[in-house]
Amino acid sequence: MITKQLIEQIEGEATVHFTMNGNTVDFATVAFPHFRGMERILQGKNALDALVITPRVCGICGHAHLMASVRALESAYVHMSQDIQLSTKAQMIREFTLLMEIVQNHYKWIYLTLIPELGKLMPLSNMSTPLKGAFAASLASKALASFSGQWPHSSYMLPGGVTCDPTHMERIKAQSYLRELIAFFENETLGIDLETFLSFESCKEIRSLSSDISRIEQSLLSLGMHEKGFAYDRFVVFGNHGFSVPSKMKQTRSYSVKSKYVSIKDSYSPQEKTFAKNALYKNDYYETGPLARAMTNSVPIIRNIHRRFKDSAYSRVVARIFEIASLLQHALELLKLMELSETSLTMPEPIHTLTAEGIGIVEAPRGVLIHKVSIEEGLIRNYEIITPTQWNIGSDTKESLTPVQLAMQGVTQEEALFIFRTFDVCSVCTTH
Amino acid sequence: MADRIEGVKKLFTSKSARVDTNRGDAHYERLFQICQTRIEALKTQTPQQNRLHIDDLLEDQGISRRDFMKWASAVTGMLMLPSSFTPLVADAALLMNRAPVIWIELSDCAGNTEAILRSDGPKIDEILLDIISLEFNETIMSASGHQAEKQLEDAMHTFKDKYLLFVEGAIPMGLDGQYGTIGAHAETFYDHLMRISKHAAAVVAVGSCATFGGVPAASPNPTQAVGVMDVLKGKPLINIPACPANPANMVGVIIHYILTGQIPELDSLLRPKFAFGYRIHDNCERRAHFDAGEFVEEWGDDGAKNNFCLYKVGCKGPMTFNNCSIIRYNEGVNWPIGVGRGCIGCSEPDFWDKYAYERPMADANIKAPTGGVEKTVDEFGLGLLTAAGIGIGIHAAASLAAGKKEESGEA
Repeated sequence: MITKQLIEQIEGEATVHFTMNGNTVDFATVAFPHFRGMERILQGKNALDALVITPRVCGICGHAHLMASVRALESAYVHMSQDIQLSTKAQMIREFTLLMEIVQNHYKWIYLTLIPELGKLMPLSNMSTPLKGAFAASLASKALASFSGQWPHSSYMLPGGVTCDPTHMERIKAQSYLRELIAFFENETLGIDLETFLSFESCKEIRSLSSDISRIEQSLLSLGMHEKGFAYDRFVVFGNHGFSVPSKMKQTRSYSVKSKYVSIKDSYSPQEKTFAKNALYKNDYYETGPLARAMTNSVPIIRNIHRRFKDSAYSRVVARIFEIASLLQHALELLKLMELSETSLTMPEPIHTLTAEGIGIVEAPRGVLIHKVSIEEGLIRNYEIITPTQWNIGSDTKESLTPVQLAMQGVTQEEALFIFRTFDVCSVCTTH
Repeated sequence: MADRIEGVKKLFTSKSARVDTNRGDAHYERLFQICQTRIEALKTQTPQQNRLHIDDLLEDQGISRRDFMKWASAVTGMLMLPSSFTPLVADAALLMNRAPVIWIELSDCAGNTEAILRSDGPKIDEILLDIISLEFNETIMSASGHQAEKQLEDAMHTFKDKYLLFVEGAIPMGLDGQYGTIGAHAETFYDHLMRISKHAAAVVAVGSCATFGGVPAASPNPTQAVGVMDVLKGKPLINIPACPANPANMVGVIIHYILTGQIPELDSLLRPKFAFGYRIHDNCERRAHFDAGEFVEEWGDDGAKNNFCLYKVGCKGPMTFNNCSIIRYNEGVNWPIGVGRGCIGCSEPDFWDKYAYERPMADANIKAPTGGVEKTVDEFGLGLLTAAGIGIGIHAAASLAAGKKEESGEA
């Protein structure tokens, strides 16, 4: 018998159809019933219009989409042998705003998804309100808006740089929001200062705290999540940033990656119509996101946790929370190092001179985001978007399970629904 | 439908779009009486399910009574009411949990929910929105699936003909509505909207998708997405466009409803005049540069470094009605023009197709709301756009002459 479960609050909706084997999940398929046709909309439009349209694919990671678009356009210029002069300052501003978007996403995920979902599996005391997540996220988006103008849906990047030309005033403003956010994170989530937390090398040290993070860690252990939710133990990271290293990993061995091996395949969903497609690398499924980034980046505490608990639901959750800490520190450094007198933007040749293909790859909050564009005299001939959820939450046959399908196998339906959310799912991005 | 939208646009600058901020003492005295009676009546009612007290929450967030009253007087001003209404507005805010609001999400990116209910908190506007939404918002309430549907049914039944329905997202009409379904029974977005709006007191379309179809409706409109006003008939409807819409404007609408029991005065595109009665251009911080003929001629030039006017690199501020030049975004931290990228006109119909990003408005071949087609600035100077159009023509042309000289100098 097949049971249908509705999953909400993932920027839209998804459904999971479970085939049970007694009390445990034998097989599950996933369907995403929404579609807007963003790629089709982009066809025939001025290539610069992508900078306005793609951020609107998603209300929570629109900034990553903007960055992927601008990188795709820049790569098209480079393919036409036109130089793109991107100042270090412009790169730093782009990266800072991307970091802030990832941080607000993770923060909301902890307080609006993870804790309420844990609460469904076991009684939780002393656990805080969703307002906590909203407050921290608002600080991050204010720091972000200091450079990008607004959040969500900012469009302040252009090929060759960024439109903002911040003064010390903006930097100080952003710094003060960031410091407030770090203090909030230390007091409300960690229960210890950021620096000490970042020096932690094992989960025992997390356990020694008395705070939201230690309570989350304890709950995961008592639910046995360190022994459940395993996917393939294969990871991909494509985005080139100060906080990520493009590579592919099988267990602990890492290999180089090339975007030409990425392919797309229709989802398998016999029970219900779905608009989603699965993303593969060399015809295999890989997990992407914070755990993948921490593994390829050799973050000591996550490597240690992985040694014991592999790619369990536990590892996935702790990696996402830990990533907030390391990104906050990275963001502080970026603000400090930013040389404000550098050029913000150097315009390349006019867009109508551009006939080329381009690819833009970014580490979005939930993992690898790829935009591919083909441009003819400045007009978009073809546009393709591959989002993180397409990597993690694909739906295929029982013979070739996707990471989430594998992770949900062999546990109860309630546990499976929790494990589903440990990947941090975005419905609107998936189908776009 | 296209004819209708074009027709509506012709009304864009008609008399109905004019803002009247002084209607005389007699009018305001009568209104005051009505509001007072209504507030007193509301005070005697108890909220159905919502047990949260706004005063407690404000205190929890460290917001003092003084801050709250300051906020109330700002909102009074925003709603274009005399300052004597401030205590009533404050009372209305405290009665926010008596305003039954149901919030549904259709074909969208969740951006408005993100902007409004989650990311801008918790200042007063956002706390208020959290309160009203806690029991009725599909996205953030804890119940899901059948339980959520039951809750929705209950809310619709209890507040029959009294609730405000907030709609986020467009309605995809293609493929018999199969591009977007919702809930355990896979109801299409269209059916969902029709069912829930049937007994709403009024419907509020939030964001550009719900108002005009938004980015999903961009050419060639693959899912045949339309806005609420294209399919919903016979219901009071308020449009709060922009991508994302601004929380302050939403709170304004709700408070106005609590205060008067009516929807606020609207323009010809059904937008509340208190928020959409002025152009971005009217209150833009870069307006002085426009008046002085100082423009950014190309991205990243000296003009850009000096925060000059962005009109010539495509800013749509002169023909976009919205209050973001005053209230800005992310709790007033910044706004697009503040980072030198110009307005994209996201609160106007068709911005996704017509108000293309970078192309100067003069080159975009935009059909102006008044019916005239713009000429290329380099060839003819600007045609009349709106009332501000005359000014634009003169200033852009003046700076153009200077630009031409430089160009020939380089060559």
